[in-house]
Amino acid sequence: MAPDREPFSYTGPAELREVVTAALHRVIDPEMSLDIVALGLVYAVETRPGSVKARITMTSAACPVTELVVDDAIGELGRALGPGVEVGVEVVWDPPWDPDRMSAQARYALGWE
Amino acid sequence: MNPGLRAARIALLLLGAACLAAGVSGGLARAGIPLAAPASAAFHGALMTGGFLGTVISLERAIALGSPIALAAPLASGLGALCLLRGISPLAQWLLLAAPLLLSAASVAIARRQPQPHTLLLVVAASAWVAGNALFIHGAPPDACAAWWFAFLVLTIAAERLEMTRLMKRRAAAKPLFYGLTATLLAGAALATLDPVPGDVVFGLALLGLALWLAAFDIARRTVRSDGLPRYAAVSLLAGYAWLGLGGLAWAAEPFAASAPRDAAMHALGLGFVFSMIFAHAPIIVPVVARVSVRFTPAFYAPLALLHASLALRLVPGFLQTDARRWGALLNAAAIALFVATLLASMTRRRA
Repeated sequence: MAPDREPFSYTGPAELREVVTAALHRVIDPEMSLDIVALGLVYAVETRPGSVKARITMTSAACPVTELVVDDAIGELGRALGPGVEVGVEVVWDPPWDPDRMSAQARYALGWE
Repeated sequence: MNPGLRAARIALLLLGAACLAAGVSGGLARAGIPLAAPASAAFHGALMTGGFLGTVISLERAIALGSPIALAAPLASGLGALCLLRGISPLAQWLLLAAPLLLSAASVAIARRQPQPHTLLLVVAASAWVAGNALFIHGAPPDACAAWWFAFLVLTIAAERLEMTRLMKRRAAAKPLFYGLTATLLAGAALATLDPVPGDVVFGLALLGLALWLAAFDIARRTVRSDGLPRYAAVSLLAGYAWLGLGGLAWAAEPFAASAPRDAAMHALGLGFVFSMIFAHAPIIVPVVARVSVRFTPAFYAPLALLHASLALRLVPGFLQTDARRWGALLNAAAIALFVATLLASMTRRRA
């Protein structure tokens, strides 16, 4: 199994990188039972004093579960960073999601390597 | 979330449930259960495919699109089907034409947002519903409408499964094979409208081919080895593919046998395949629609097992015996009721 590269681009204080990564690892795609970081659905996170913004994608624009995943991501980031931090999660479709974005562990679980 | 929007979604889900209740009572009346439901019996197919499934599929698509205007599709679908209970009126006809056109528009908007094979296939599937309802409104024979209605349902489900297969490593031949089967299915539906003999055979064999494709390439083959909800969903999907294949064979056999294969084909597809998909996905999708949490328990396996056992009873001995068919139909309805009860019992209000 190849080691993972950085799962998403991060901008902000280094000490918060692990906090937001752990929070997003707790957001689970209910159908796959895999988290959105492992599935490569998180594109970017930017933390600033008083706010955090995440850009994520989904494998399908026709999937209503998107709404649930966004809510869960907002909830987990909000709980991790504490009250008073404004949380924004934007769903983007460009660039399109690609199986190469999945973590080595997820790819192994799904038979890629 | 806006409480008005949540209420509108729940109201539309209940509208779909009303169509389901009417459709099931009509189905039971057809199977010989003494129920005074002549209109539901006459329009059983339209109530189940358009009324119930068309409404919930359109609702799901509207939520994915995130546009309250798109909720007009499930509204038209559900109301149009219920209007049929008072006969084929001009209002019912307009609503039954508007619903698939509105779903097609929502599907086009999604395909523009993410131009991928699975989103384009959803547009094709919605167009098959347009064709089926247009034929129905113009008084085409039920079997000609049924091929288009099932094309709508099968292709909608296949599109969603196609999307999931992207997560798995596939053989290079899988994609062109899938497109070939989809084109054959549509050609079969079109041919069946003109001449049932070759049309039914082509349509049925395409269904069988799609069942084999899904059984070979679906991610359910992997998730069945996990646990909890993903495992339960995978079991439901794989069992559904078996019925899809059998339904395809029965559909292809129609021109060479008496009237029984068509009933077997429709129920293998409608109950064995489509309802198995509903049982698999409702615990995932209903929480989104109604903003509730669903706690998965092994109790969900009980209605699933009852659905498949009762369908086997209905279609195997029921092929020849009216009594077995009647008991099978009654237990099919019991399986759906048990599933709804299990789902309701596992729900809690979702935290904000």
